[in-house]
Amino acid sequence: MSLDPVQVMKGQDPMPNTCPSASNGDSQASWDDSKDIHENEGSTKKPKSPKPENAVTIAVSSRVLFRTEKEQKVFEQKGIEEYLRYQVEHENEPFAPGPAFPFVKALETVNNRLRELYPDSEELFDIVLVTYNHAHVGIRLINTINYHNLFIERFCMTGGSSPIGYLKAWHTNLYLSADAEKVQEALAEGIAAATMFMPEKQIEVSETQLRVAFDGDAVLFSDESERIFKAHGLDKFFEHERENENRLLDHGPLKGFLEVLGKLQKKFYAKGHRMDCPIRTYLVTARSAASSGIRALKTLRAWGLEMDEALFLAGAPKGPMLEKIRPHIYFDDQMFHVEGAVEMGAIAAHVPYGIAQKYPHKKSTNAGK
Amino acid sequence: MEDEKNHTGPLMIALQYNDLFDLDSISAMTASTNTDDAVPKDRAVTFIKAVQIVNERLVEQNKTESLLFEVILIAKECSEEIKMNIVESVKYYGLEIVKIFFCKKEELINTLQLNNVKLFLSTDKDDVYEVLHIGIPAAVLYEQSDDHVLNQLKVIFSGDVIGFSEDSLDSLSDFGFSETQIETFKEAKICMKEFAVLIGQMRRKFGQENSPLCICVLTAWGSTNVCASALKTLREWGLDVDEAFCLAGAPCSPILAVVKPHILWDGGLHNMRDLSAHS
Repeated sequence: MSLDPVQVMKGQDPMPNTCPSASNGDSQASWDDSKDIHENEGSTKKPKSPKPENAVTIAVSSRVLFRTEKEQKVFEQKGIEEYLRYQVEHENEPFAPGPAFPFVKALETVNNRLRELYPDSEELFDIVLVTYNHAHVGIRLINTINYHNLFIERFCMTGGSSPIGYLKAWHTNLYLSADAEKVQEALAEGIAAATMFMPEKQIEVSETQLRVAFDGDAVLFSDESERIFKAHGLDKFFEHERENENRLLDHGPLKGFLEVLGKLQKKFYAKGHRMDCPIRTYLVTARSAASSGIRALKTLRAWGLEMDEALFLAGAPKGPMLEKIRPHIYFDDQMFHVEGAVEMGAIAAHVPYGIAQKYPHKKSTNAGK
Repeated sequence: MEDEKNHTGPLMIALQYNDLFDLDSISAMTASTNTDDAVPKDRAVTFIKAVQIVNERLVEQNKTESLLFEVILIAKECSEEIKMNIVESVKYYGLEIVKIFFCKKEELINTLQLNNVKLFLSTDKDDVYEVLHIGIPAAVLYEQSDDHVLNQLKVIFSGDVIGFSEDSLDSLSDFGFSETQIETFKEAKICMKEFAVLIGQMRRKFGQENSPLCICVLTAWGSTNVCASALKTLREWGLDVDEAFCLAGAPCSPILAVVKPHILWDGGLHNMRDLSAHS
């Protein structure tokens, strides 16, 4: 992260006389002089943020939007006072992109297309930064947002208090965090949430199309079938699925998010953009197409949800498939699969929901469904 | 730092009696002959208790601390009976009120000025706005819907008022704010500074965790750059912020309901019509 600190303050808007502060001390002059603030509000160039209830709100924490491993270490080893001092010291050094960064960029791309087609609509993605961090880190975070040209106009820095109340206040549709506990809290409150991990290598993802991949059981659907499988084994699972082929699966924590994606997709279809729709959804499930997959498809159909691609792996490892798809985010309830995906460089997020959390997959038994 | 102690002295906050006591209970009292005390309202009580905790913690650190909160009560146009009941109730409920001023309606401003009140708190936004307009620091005593015990005094500063520079504030006329409103924001910024400097000194006596004082900045409507500007300005004034919120036009109430502040310094901004309706 060897970035010239002086260049940090460039934002999305034309800043005619920006005199970025190289040091913390003489910031007064640069901020007071910046007529960009006036231009920001008066100009028609910068789009207005939508009302939370109209938008698809994605809340991300600072640790998944950016890479903050170094700072985390300072916090863990030296405590909070030192951590905050470190952050303020490095205020003009932007963070590097984190695991959720490509996803957020892709959301912005979709927004741009939506605005072209529907200039007055508020049905857009709205990205809110919701972080445990203290406001001391605020300036560094804002600098980073500006540096990367991200369109994030809303944030909550809760200074240590629980972010869950704020998630609700923002009508959050999806919450991404590095902290499994907070994610679980959110899920318990009925908010779709997942934990993200930084891959060692990152495979390139599309810059024009948002790709979201979902596991089936315990993500889109409830963990009902998982439970049968874990308790009684594969055969019982197949039997159960056959018997209940026509009974819909119950919904899982990410069903709502798929739904809102579908709504936005339909807006593109309505204007003739079905073939080049900038949103594409994938089902990547260990279920098999010939048998247990049928129930999944019937359920989706009954919910009125379309998936662009459904991949039934019948137990085959998911990594290679994800490498082909290159999703901006892949949701799975099993850490085993998330880790496998991350190893291949795919961006994966763990949904800590259902029975798999109590009885995690053992690497030795790679049984198919 | 010794000089600071000498010319700071107590941080005086003024409350009005109708914000502290339930008026209905007072009139009920005068009607009947029983001597029950006026019932204090939750939101004022939680505020006073929170202030008390800050004072206790400050004194814990330094027995001769002079920069403490002092709460005074102002009662306008009261009958003798009500006056007595207020005095009794304050004693009865153990509310740390340093002085009670009984005055006429027109004397409110005078009373505030004469007593070097550093902050006038009211639940009435129009009152706050009027007082601010004259240049006396004023803020909203915010609704605490449940009587949960906060062992922290939470103060919110408006990122919009602090973050916009003088010139930019003028540009607010594009958004429908009147001249007087804009003047009031400028006044508010000056007032906020004095209060911020004092409370910043207090805040620095505590660490990041377990502080009885929590400072927040809420930018209801300015961009993230405005918020960053507010954070930097406050830092220059000696006030480190704990929590920051940037709303970019989203409604404030859901967020405020989670933050649960005691003191809301909005400079009169949130008294305004729905700004997000601006196209």
